[in-house]
Amino acid sequence: MSRLQGVLLAVVFVLSAGSSGLFAWPRPALAQARADSFRKEFDEVCAKTADAMTLSTGELRTLVERSDRLVPLLQGLSEPERKVYAKRLLGCRNVYAFVLESRHEH
Amino acid sequence: MRGILVLVLLVAFGLPGAARSQQASGKKRRPLPPEYGRVVLSKQSEKGSVAPVSFDHWLHRAKYTCRLCHVDIGFAMAENGTGVKAADNASGLYCGSCHNGRRMDGGRKIFESCSSGRPTEQKTTCVRCHSVGKNVVPEVEFAAFTRGFPRGRFGNGVDWEAAETLGLIKPVDFLEGISVPRKSMAAQKDFALSPAQKGMPEIIFSHEKHTVWNGCELCHPEIFGAVKKGKEKYTMGEIFDGKYCGVCHVSVAFPMQDCQRCHTKPVQ
Repeated sequence: MSRLQGVLLAVVFVLSAGSSGLFAWPRPALAQARADSFRKEFDEVCAKTADAMTLSTGELRTLVERSDRLVPLLQGLSEPERKVYAKRLLGCRNVYAFVLESRHEH
Repeated sequence: MRGILVLVLLVAFGLPGAARSQQASGKKRRPLPPEYGRVVLSKQSEKGSVAPVSFDHWLHRAKYTCRLCHVDIGFAMAENGTGVKAADNASGLYCGSCHNGRRMDGGRKIFESCSSGRPTEQKTTCVRCHSVGKNVVPEVEFAAFTRGFPRGRFGNGVDWEAAETLGLIKPVDFLEGISVPRKSMAAQKDFALSPAQKGMPEIIFSHEKHTVWNGCELCHPEIFGAVKKGKEKYTMGEIFDGKYCGVCHVSVAFPMQDCQRCHTKPVQ
């Protein structure tokens, strides 16, 4: 095996190990900060789903807007996290929107 | 002598024929109590050349609320709807939210989900979930686990709702590091729904019973999107097809055969 082949093999091994979950790639500081900031806002926005029926119309509208503003920030998350949080965020947003709509109907 | 001959002929030809005709008719066998709520997750495992996962709802529902897994952890409500990968579990998502070798349950560490990077000797734990087609003896046995629980007529043969009310099970609704801290929920009022069929008892829907397990966002608006009572009509056919109440009540929660559990209010 030539030296070049050896180096290539090592690169392929490291790449495949990283993608298979053998070890986690260290997340760059900026990406980590974005993810933390997303999660902080997400926790605040989604903390009120159980109280949705008791919130004022203004509060509900604000929560829907805050949920919508979070959508582009999902891009800052790594792939499996993005999928989970996209579903969770949509669930929160839709509950607030649902209560708002039901008030409008009544 | 002739009687014996007829009996032998019946056994030799009659029973296999009956079994074949039942198979040919396509009639679905009613699941046994431990099988009710079982889902087979094969979407990713087949790609990864491992056995599909056999997931029993009864064990998990006794310990965790539906909301925790289907909202906070993000599992889809449909079989194979999530597409869980080993790498997702290794990142602490989906099954790996609990099956990470660190989280505790009843004073015991929950076993770690398998991943491609684990040593071969540890992969014996993989078959605990990836068990389809393998002769795996479950660590928790259904009959022993549910002994002493209130009985139900259908499904698992367990009245889970009564078990929760009596405090025999205390489903966890919050996972540190996963769930969002929330206030406890103010229960909405129960309401009556009038069946289309005359003479059928009215349906009393209890928000209180449902929110214990589901919160709001598991049902609204994805399953029940109508914002005004009576605006959307639900037929029993649709429900039996797995829509509306049928999302849960044909597969995991008590099944539709248990009519009186929903049609509870006598006709006036």
